[in-house]
Amino acid sequence: MPHPVEALRDYAFGELSADRQPELEQHLGVCGECALELDRLRLTTAALRTLPDRELPQRIAFVSDKVFEPSAVSRFFGGFWNSAARLGFASACVLGAALIVSAYHRPVEVRTVVQRGNAQTGNAQTANADVSKEINDAVTRAVAQVRVEDAREIEAVGHKYEQEYQERMATVAENFALLQKRVGTSLIASYDLRGNGDGQ
Amino acid sequence: MIFRAVEDADLISRVRRGDVEAFNLLVSRWEKRVFNYLLRLTGRPEDAMDLSQEAFLKAYQNIRKLDDPARFGPWLYRIAHNEAHSLFRKRRPETALEDAPAERNPAPGFSIDLSLAVTAALDRLTPEQREAVVLKVYEGFKFDEMAEVLGCPVSTVKSRLYTALDLLKADLAPVSTRGN
Repeated sequence: MPHPVEALRDYAFGELSADRQPELEQHLGVCGECALELDRLRLTTAALRTLPDRELPQRIAFVSDKVFEPSAVSRFFGGFWNSAARLGFASACVLGAALIVSAYHRPVEVRTVVQRGNAQTGNAQTANADVSKEINDAVTRAVAQVRVEDAREIEAVGHKYEQEYQERMATVAENFALLQKRVGTSLIASYDLRGNGDGQ
Repeated sequence: MIFRAVEDADLISRVRRGDVEAFNLLVSRWEKRVFNYLLRLTGRPEDAMDLSQEAFLKAYQNIRKLDDPARFGPWLYRIAHNEAHSLFRKRRPETALEDAPAERNPAPGFSIDLSLAVTAALDRLTPEQREAVVLKVYEGFKFDEMAEVLGCPVSTVKSRLYTALDLLKADLAPVSTRGN
């Protein structure tokens, strides 16, 4: 019969299951070698235990010191993080919130972005067209206004020069008429003088 | 042991409700065991003291992360284990526990030969084997609790422990026989 070495060692340390102990004890009763091995194991452990425990050189510092005591906040968070149930519940809440946000807000956000992008592109184009139109209208209006003002100024200047011309021509005519009168008067006077001298 | 576990669970519940004094009771209950565990890992009382202080402080700060209050012991030792290995990595990443000096006083009432032999035999183990022996023989943890402390499967825990016992048995059985 083979020697139950491991069972013997387990038995020596009181670790052999109760249902296997009777079988081993029966074997020990008939196997001198195993019985001797058991004695050696017990002797060895007894020899090891001759080294006694030593007393502490000083007591371990108790944790009554406030330095060691966690704050109320630390205890709260410590209790929270160390509680699997609470931590699991919190994780589930966070996960659920993330799923809800992802399911309802994120696609809309994508569509919104696209729509916004399209809308922004259309709006930009419309705005550019409006601005261009407004600029063109303003330029046209400004040009027309300038032309009207120029025409008015030209007309006014022409009218002014025409008036001055008419005035000057009138003056010339008056001067000419006056000159004619003076010439006529002079001619008449010279005839009178010539006639009076011959008649004497 | 079950009654003790219930008491620990009750204290932990009180700590979680803000009762600092309840944690002080837990410290009083576990400080010697944690200190000696760390002392057997490090071999230096001052390191064991500092690491114990850090381990209890971290335990207090993270007490709400403890899923099963009945498993406070393995959970606390896991913190202490991590603190010790963090220190070893800082000091000498490539050697870790292997060069930890053995400062283990012989026990009064036992033969000097036996105590020295136990000390020497423990120092010949690898750090992993030594920690497995400490957790099992000195701290009395079950295999599943050791696996929780060490962060490895039960099969690995048993492999380390039984390999260590084979080595220790060869070293100590003759000495203990003579000592007795």
